[in-house]
Amino acid sequence: MTFAGIPIRPGTDPPDLRSCVDYIRSANRPTTADLLAAAQADGRVLIQPRCGVGDHGRMLDLLRDLRDGAAPDILSVTVDAHTRLLRFAEAERALREDPYRLNGYPLVTHGWRRGRELAESVDVPLEVRHGSPDPRDLFVTAIASGITSFEGGGIGYNLPYVKDVPLEVSLGAWAEVDRACGVLAEHGVIVERELFGTLTAVLMPPSLCLAVCVLEAVAAAAQGVRCISVAYPQGGNAVQDVAALASIRTLAARYLPDTVTVYPVLHQFMGAFPGDPALADALILYGGLVAKWGAATKVVVKTNQEAYGIPDAAANIRGIRTTRVALSHLLDGFGVDQAAVREEQEWIEREVADLVDPVLQSGDLTTAIAAAFRSGRLDVPFSASIHAHSAVMPRRDPTGAIRIARPGSLALSTETKARNERLLRDAGPRGDEGFVAAVKADIERFSAAVGH
Amino acid sequence: MNQFNRATVILGVAASDAHAVANILIAESLREAGFLVVNLGVCTPLPEFAEAYQANPTAVAVVVGSLNGHAYDDLRDLPALRARGLLGCPVVVGGNISVGSTKSDRDRARLEQLGVDHVLDDVAHLVPLLAGLAQPVFA
Repeated sequence: MTFAGIPIRPGTDPPDLRSCVDYIRSANRPTTADLLAAAQADGRVLIQPRCGVGDHGRMLDLLRDLRDGAAPDILSVTVDAHTRLLRFAEAERALREDPYRLNGYPLVTHGWRRGRELAESVDVPLEVRHGSPDPRDLFVTAIASGITSFEGGGIGYNLPYVKDVPLEVSLGAWAEVDRACGVLAEHGVIVERELFGTLTAVLMPPSLCLAVCVLEAVAAAAQGVRCISVAYPQGGNAVQDVAALASIRTLAARYLPDTVTVYPVLHQFMGAFPGDPALADALILYGGLVAKWGAATKVVVKTNQEAYGIPDAAANIRGIRTTRVALSHLLDGFGVDQAAVREEQEWIEREVADLVDPVLQSGDLTTAIAAAFRSGRLDVPFSASIHAHSAVMPRRDPTGAIRIARPGSLALSTETKARNERLLRDAGPRGDEGFVAAVKADIERFSAAVGH
Repeated sequence: MNQFNRATVILGVAASDAHAVANILIAESLREAGFLVVNLGVCTPLPEFAEAYQANPTAVAVVVGSLNGHAYDDLRDLPALRARGLLGCPVVVGGNISVGSTKSDRDRARLEQLGVDHVLDDVAHLVPLLAGLAQPVFA
């Protein structure tokens, strides 16, 4: 038994494809794809919080509290770590014994009927956010629940999250999901697929985020996906962040067929967050401004409890409201140097081309991606997976922009390598502390206490 | 510099812990100090540390990072591995060694009872400790 080509896990018992399509099309609320298209046309930035708790009743309350308290445009169902790793027995046991132990909502275990209760509980669309190298069961349950927005990809949901899943395996599983999105599109249901360019979230050079997203997007488009969000994580230098967001549109036009609509999304700062709530609020506001300046279609918000763990609803509401202040006319009238943005954008796009062009030109895409990571021609810093070298080492330049200090075997050209080196020359190892201490200080740029 | 360039250190993060950033930075700082580092990465069960030791029997230490507070649970098999002679070198554990924000001598004592030789709560102490352990090699 399959669902849009995906084998059905025994016990999950989804309705057949046709009745799911009817359910989705009869729902009296917009889909994420609808909202993104409207926001793009109006030049608006949609706001979305992350949220997910184990207990079903509490999850319903959380969605309604956030909706009533802050009116976000899209809400999230963040899935627990057991479900992400297909440990359904553990998720079921935790749910039975103590749902508060779960760090997210176990959607597959709760099942699609409860999923529909979530989707029907609010008048805005939901997105499933997780971190699963094999998302097939989760995807089927999401679609059967009427949730048509699904985060992740075969690289971005592998390298940061698991130690030893070969890229061929995760890319294969995600190809099945993308193919199912193609089948659903033929039935008039557009599933929005958000690509997790944030990767390991620590000092991520923009070109590496975007190169991974371009490759995942090309793979998704080839399977029939029609609506893609490319998520880029705020790094902390506004010129660089705005340039990275702007380059998403250029890269989409260059590498993707026009059957696909692509939207830039900003994830507010994903690295080490300040514990001081005043500083955290400021960083959230800064993220909102960068989303506006970079013409992102959506911003995913942080909270001022980020440094301490999973936030409560009140902190989440505050994060959404702070972000809305940044997007309002209140803070119009200042921004970033456009000439500097254009120059930075050109270099980001050159680096992305250095990284992805050889992969796209070498036959089967899955094989080529896996081979590129095996050789280190593609690489990400601080990977949890043994299937990336993690030889690349980032540093901040004196302006706070993230540069590639040690390229490892990355397929960068002489020119792009030289520019990274040149911009970092003044940063230097600080004092006699050495390179590692300097990288650590760069990681802690926003979490370290502010002096007077 | 590089006075320890023939001293091997086996490094990894405990079985239930996926914190990669500190692990990669520590590997880098040990290499900077001149050690040969066999880095087993995140989520490494204790038997894999033992296998790495058998492949590198001259290693001066096995260094286990643990940031999620599960160090005791993740190291429970250490006495059994020691008893079977599978892990002959000193074992160093460092990071955040128990759940909760205040650490007690009890957390340290529990790990030492398992046979952990050195418990570090400051990563700055790691290189000096390993340098001391490496000295006999050159004596």
